[in-house]
Amino acid sequence: MKRKVMALSMAAVMAASLTACGGASSTSTTAASGDSSTSTTAASGDTTTAAASGDQVNLKICWWGNQIRNDVTKKAVDLYMSQNPNVKIDIEFTDWSGYWDKLSAMAAGGNLPDIIQMDYSYLNQYQKSSQLADLTPYLEDGTIDHSKIPDSIIESGSIDGKCYALSLGSNAPVMVYDKAITDEAGVTIPEQPTIEELYEIGNTIYEKTEVKTYYDGGINMMQIVARGNGSHLFDEIAANTVDSLAKHFAYVEQFNTAEAAISPDLLAEKNPDLVETKPIIDSTTWNDFSFSNQFVSIVNAAGRDLAVCMYPQAEDATTQPMYLKPSQFFSIAETSQNKEEAAKFLNWFTNDVDCNKILLGERGVPVNTEVAEAIKGDLDANTQLVFDYVTSVGEIATPIDAPDPAGKGEIEALGKTKVEDLRYGDGTAEEIATSFLAEANKILTEAAQ
Amino acid sequence: MSKPTNAPKKTLAQKLNQENIAGYIFILPFIIGFLAFLALPMLMSFGFSFTRYNILESPTFIGIQNYIEMFTNDAKFLKSFGVTLYYAFFSVPLRLIMALLVAMLLVKSTKLSGFYRAVYYLPSIIGSSVAVAILWKRMWASDGVINALLNAIGIPCDLAWLGRQDTAIWTLIILAVWQFGSSMLIFLSGLKQIPVSLYESATVDGANGIQRFFKITLPMLTPTIFFNLINQLINGFMAFTQSYIITQGKPRDSTLFYTVYMYQNSFTYNKLGYGCALAWFMTLFVALLTLILFKTQNKWVYYESER
Amino acid sequence: MDSYKTKRTILTVVYHVFTFFFAIVMIYPLLWMVMSSFKETNEILRTAQNLFPSSFRLDNYVTGWRGFADYDFGIFFKNSVVIAGLSTIGAVVSSAVISYGFARCEFKGKGIWFACMLLSMMLPFQVIMIPQYILFNRLGWVGSYLPLIVPQWFGQGFFIFLNLQFIKGIPRDLDEAAKIDGCSIYTIFVRIILPLIKPSLVTSAIFSFMWRWDDFLSALIYLSDPIKYPVSYALKMFSDPTSGSDWGAMFAMATLSLIPIFIIFLTMQKYLVEGIASTGIKG
Repeated sequence: MKRKVMALSMAAVMAASLTACGGASSTSTTAASGDSSTSTTAASGDTTTAAASGDQVNLKICWWGNQIRNDVTKKAVDLYMSQNPNVKIDIEFTDWSGYWDKLSAMAAGGNLPDIIQMDYSYLNQYQKSSQLADLTPYLEDGTIDHSKIPDSIIESGSIDGKCYALSLGSNAPVMVYDKAITDEAGVTIPEQPTIEELYEIGNTIYEKTEVKTYYDGGINMMQIVARGNGSHLFDEIAANTVDSLAKHFAYVEQFNTAEAAISPDLLAEKNPDLVETKPIIDSTTWNDFSFSNQFVSIVNAAGRDLAVCMYPQAEDATTQPMYLKPSQFFSIAETSQNKEEAAKFLNWFTNDVDCNKILLGERGVPVNTEVAEAIKGDLDANTQLVFDYVTSVGEIATPIDAPDPAGKGEIEALGKTKVEDLRYGDGTAEEIATSFLAEANKILTEAAQ
Repeated sequence: MSKPTNAPKKTLAQKLNQENIAGYIFILPFIIGFLAFLALPMLMSFGFSFTRYNILESPTFIGIQNYIEMFTNDAKFLKSFGVTLYYAFFSVPLRLIMALLVAMLLVKSTKLSGFYRAVYYLPSIIGSSVAVAILWKRMWASDGVINALLNAIGIPCDLAWLGRQDTAIWTLIILAVWQFGSSMLIFLSGLKQIPVSLYESATVDGANGIQRFFKITLPMLTPTIFFNLINQLINGFMAFTQSYIITQGKPRDSTLFYTVYMYQNSFTYNKLGYGCALAWFMTLFVALLTLILFKTQNKWVYYESER
Repeated sequence: MDSYKTKRTILTVVYHVFTFFFAIVMIYPLLWMVMSSFKETNEILRTAQNLFPSSFRLDNYVTGWRGFADYDFGIFFKNSVVIAGLSTIGAVVSSAVISYGFARCEFKGKGIWFACMLLSMMLPFQVIMIPQYILFNRLGWVGSYLPLIVPQWFGQGFFIFLNLQFIKGIPRDLDEAAKIDGCSIYTIFVRIILPLIKPSLVTSAIFSFMWRWDDFLSALIYLSDPIKYPVSYALKMFSDPTSGSDWGAMFAMATLSLIPIFIIFLTMQKYLVEGIASTGIKG
């Protein structure tokens, strides 16, 4: 049903948008270093992947990240260029929030780089507006070798059966907790607690240690609850079904009124949305919620060892809600003049062991299972823990929700407001669930136009 | 343009010396820059405000629907507008008073005045970096410096200042007041422009410090005050980073600045058309306020050249 | 007489005690930031209430300075100096010229252009960002410093308005006298007005340098090659909410990045306070 709606709207959009974004793509290849130095010492390295013709190819690649990612990716790119002297890759990197502003400006100017780092929440929107190249032909003809990549990974970057984005690593939702505190309280956290168990555990911990409990009211938990019911959040919103939402907000209310729960004032002050201020960092709470790729930085910010378990699921859940999520993708711009060469680079980036020995799973657990195994020994303890966690989730995971529909950002923000309303006592769970659904449905309908 | 006279034909130099022509020559850079770099983007964004536009696809014309939506169906628009009004209403006057007081304090030439000026200006240099955001959050935390200070002077307090809807905005207002440096600098240079002779003759006439302040300093400073007022007003309404990096609008949108909401719409929700409509509403509102202030100008602003 | 002297001394002491104490309050956050730059990254967040680090470490400066992907902060600092320097020169000069036109010349359409200038100060950059990008992209300027610097050379509303207020504060008698001596509008501007608005020019220069130094948004949008990144923009990249942030390195480099602005301020502030009063023209 959902797919159908999407396909329809996609067709409509494609027909309607012979966009202002065409043309003028290759004209301004960075005024950088004037000379387009035609031969970068063809001597070094094997040239197995070099294009037959030996023509000079310029590729531009753009990603967001921090110091580590910038360093290792540059090293990997340099290695690729030394192995493929005919390819010159210009790199460009920025911070997360700036990245999307920049990317939309570049898209508006018809100026997207050849290879774009892509996020799951933006994938649909960029694909829908025909900014991304279809990778399926390259997967089929073997330019991008996916023999060691699970099909589910390829699917996670696919829309309507065509792959538009190649996952670079896997992630899973995670509950982080402070083992020192749970030990002190004498409780053990199951590998996958139920929400009801979490509630009881929280009470026990509070009695024993006075450390508070945090319950995630955000969109991730909404999705988990909906998935446990065997449906998907955005499908329910589109269909105006209140079931999962009612359940979700009831849980939020239950946790909020408990004595063990962190107060709304304190929660707003601590702001669990940002790693560095999460309430678990200064032991205001004993638990917190996140995605596995943030675990290492949470540990770093907290300055002490933390443990992980799976997101809690409702006691009466009928379906396993846990899923694997692509941490990020590489996509190729539709405007790229060198799609084939870009695809070759993607192939190397995901399948080459040497490359991944440089990257060391910085973008999440490598999708090529052999590569993941090959680099495992080189990781530090916390990264290893994340690897193991993601592997164990992978064993039980059900397929991820379809890429987020347009309007997701706004619905997520709406969810935050509504949960705050509830936490500050401005309405019952039932009322809030109903009003959230009505407003979210409206956003979704309008965004789909 | 110029009225026909029987006067002999003017030389080029004379022509250039006419105010009508010289004026244009002087402001020519502005005209070129405005037309080349600003006019078109402004017109485009005005145009976008009548469309549905997600940046990635071509805009669709929808008439004044965005504006209707704003006023009839968007509680957050009203909320963020209210928050911004409240913020500007308190932060602008407080900041100006603070800046003026400190400038008066520092205009005195002592051995240390250079040092003091630097120190008082420093908070404005660090501006609204992430460092300030982290620090500010820590200071106002329930177990932070502010509460510790209050407790030390005998006021028991464990408020989560940033977590309460009635206090969170005030932490941002205080931040704005604390960064009074730029207004202070302008006041300083304004104060220095007042001729000493005025003070000298006033002292001869037997005026005391307070009288001198109200009779000379304040009137002579009105152009600077006017400038700072207009400028801080614009700044107050355009404030963005404090809300964006410190509170993210929390709690319950009580610190959601208008510009942040506009930015969210434009880029996070991909509704640039709506974002542009929001922007133009605010721009026109601020323009109106500015216009009113300009109209009142001749009632209280004193210009030496228009004596 | 004696009591007058005592009173004066007391007042001076009170003045300094008050100003000094208040100065500490003002400067505390800055001290905190500098001190934090010597802490370990996780110590910064956990011990934010402690001003002094448990031990002074320079690690943050070392890792921070290394920069990203073989581009160290030496490069970023050099870029910032170029961008902020050229922009400031352009903004100060052009704004001075433009402001004189608005202040002392009567011409047709002045009101409209003045309104345009004010309007340019009121429009949030975020909404003209996309159209401006499209424009500069058409001009082929994207990827170079041109979009960052060139517009500065055509006057900035804030500085124009500031100069304007100062020029209006200068008695017209001076212009008239000069006119009688045979000065043209242009020579009056150069010989009479410019020297008299020095404080506002200096203020403009300080502000312009600081704002251009801190601006990262236009760098973000218009620059693509990391070798051209300025400090302000590079600083953002120490934090990544999706993977991890290095606050220590960020604070260390943020501290360094304050130094140039501070130097500019220190060298210029003495010109700031020499106004008409010290140049000796009586009103």
